[in-house]
Amino acid sequence: MKRPLAVLCGLMFLLLALPVRAGVPLDTVKVNVNKVLEVLRDPKLKAESAKETKKERLRYIYDLMFNKVELSRRALAQNWNNLNPAQREEFVQLFRQVLEKAYIDKILAYSDEKVVFDRETILSVNKAEIQTKIITSSKEVPILYRVILKDGEWKVYDIVVENVSLILNYRTQFNDILAKNTPDQLLEILRKKVKGQS
Amino acid sequence: MKSFKLSVLLFVFAILVLGCAHRPSPISSFEPSSVSPQHNQVIVASNLDQIPLSSPEMSPKPEGERLDDVSAPQDALASPVMPSNSDDTSVDDDDNLDYVEENGTTEKISIADPLEPFNRAMYQFNDKLYFWLLKPVAQGYRKIVPEGARVSVRNFFSNLTSPIRIVNCMLQANFGGAARELGRFTVNTILGIGGLFDPASGKNINLPKQDEDFGQTLGVYGLGQGFYINWPILGPSSPRDTVGLVGDLFLHPFNYLATWDVSVGTRAYEKVNDTSLTIGDYESLKEAAIDPYVALRDAYVQYRLNKVKARGGKPAPSDAGGAVSTATEEAPPSVHSGETTPY
Repeated sequence: MKRPLAVLCGLMFLLLALPVRAGVPLDTVKVNVNKVLEVLRDPKLKAESAKETKKERLRYIYDLMFNKVELSRRALAQNWNNLNPAQREEFVQLFRQVLEKAYIDKILAYSDEKVVFDRETILSVNKAEIQTKIITSSKEVPILYRVILKDGEWKVYDIVVENVSLILNYRTQFNDILAKNTPDQLLEILRKKVKGQS
Repeated sequence: MKSFKLSVLLFVFAILVLGCAHRPSPISSFEPSSVSPQHNQVIVASNLDQIPLSSPEMSPKPEGERLDDVSAPQDALASPVMPSNSDDTSVDDDDNLDYVEENGTTEKISIADPLEPFNRAMYQFNDKLYFWLLKPVAQGYRKIVPEGARVSVRNFFSNLTSPIRIVNCMLQANFGGAARELGRFTVNTILGIGGLFDPASGKNINLPKQDEDFGQTLGVYGLGQGFYINWPILGPSSPRDTVGLVGDLFLHPFNYLATWDVSVGTRAYEKVNDTSLTIGDYESLKEAAIDPYVALRDAYVQYRLNKVKARGGKPAPSDAGGAVSTATEEAPPSVHSGETTPY
């Protein structure tokens, strides 16, 4: 009777331990960042005409890497509750496009900067923070990825660049806008923003 | 007795594994992933010696749940309209939960802005100043002077203001920081040929810059920002940081080296040189923003707050009870004074 118990305990520990190893937040972020770098470094995609292909691939990686609903929810904070499901749906899509328009050119302009993964800090049961650095010829930029575990996957819900949280920055702006406007008007502002830059 | 123990163990195990299974997850069944999400979540929880009850899944807000059920069919209707790349996990009905403020994870970062009309006008002024004067000049300068030289110029100016950082480290009772900054100053002045190079930041010497100023010193002693002021030319500030700026002037070598016009000229040159190395930063901030004025104000407030907190944070190994820090590749020997505590 003793031995089966020990075996069972051993099996349990194995079961408990394995998935955690597999889902280490830092590795998840690292894998995705490396995928991005792969696309950016791909010699076949160097040509100007391949820009759309690149963007398409980056969009795909973005969806693997980021939890866009979580991003939107946190960017709106309390205001999220004032949006009805349809508005939330549209907001999530628009916010994703706003982010894409804002940062895609910066990302595509990448030229052999080095990305260093420093460490991960577990913030709570389902949240962690990954410290990274981008090293360019003239400076080092610290970048923090905050990731959340949802549906078994670690996905990014905030990025902190040089001490400034992207989501908190947008939150202040959305708060400010929603203090004077309705959610519908906010969506209209975002629609214009997305169109205006294309 | 033993079989009783065994059955208790099995029961506990079953609870651990299936504890959250009351919530159907329609999405997971479509995924090839071998591990079911709930499974994973509970496992992580149990590994941290926490009862699964603390997992948010176990204590959903009742209204949130109800709202979920209402929203689910709408999601299903809405999803075909969305771009094709969103057909992965994203619009799970669980994610449409109401926003609930999480304890201790989110902090309110805001600043009073009673001077908003003035500040907005000054924002416009500074914006034009940047695009019409500073940027073109910096771009021209960038064409003439190679990057290495410009970095050296920046290092040189930065080395000159070392006394400001040393004194402020001391004022904040951060004597380790003061010593590091002093060591840095010595190393860079001698080995770095008068501060043109920055060997102190390198891996071997590892004396990173202690970016402290009098505004932060006041902040460390508990003085808040007060309200937002956007100065012409100088940009985002507050009463506290304005006092800080003036305080630091007393230690700024330019003021002792020359007459005021030379001093202003040198400052302007420093600004052009700095700008030449950061062209594009302001543009991308502005482009990413819905309201650039608010975005800049918030970025300033967050940046300063975290700078002050970084000092208050000290080495802080035991913050956030039970937090696990895994040092992975290229982890620095954590000499950094500026360890920000996660919010």
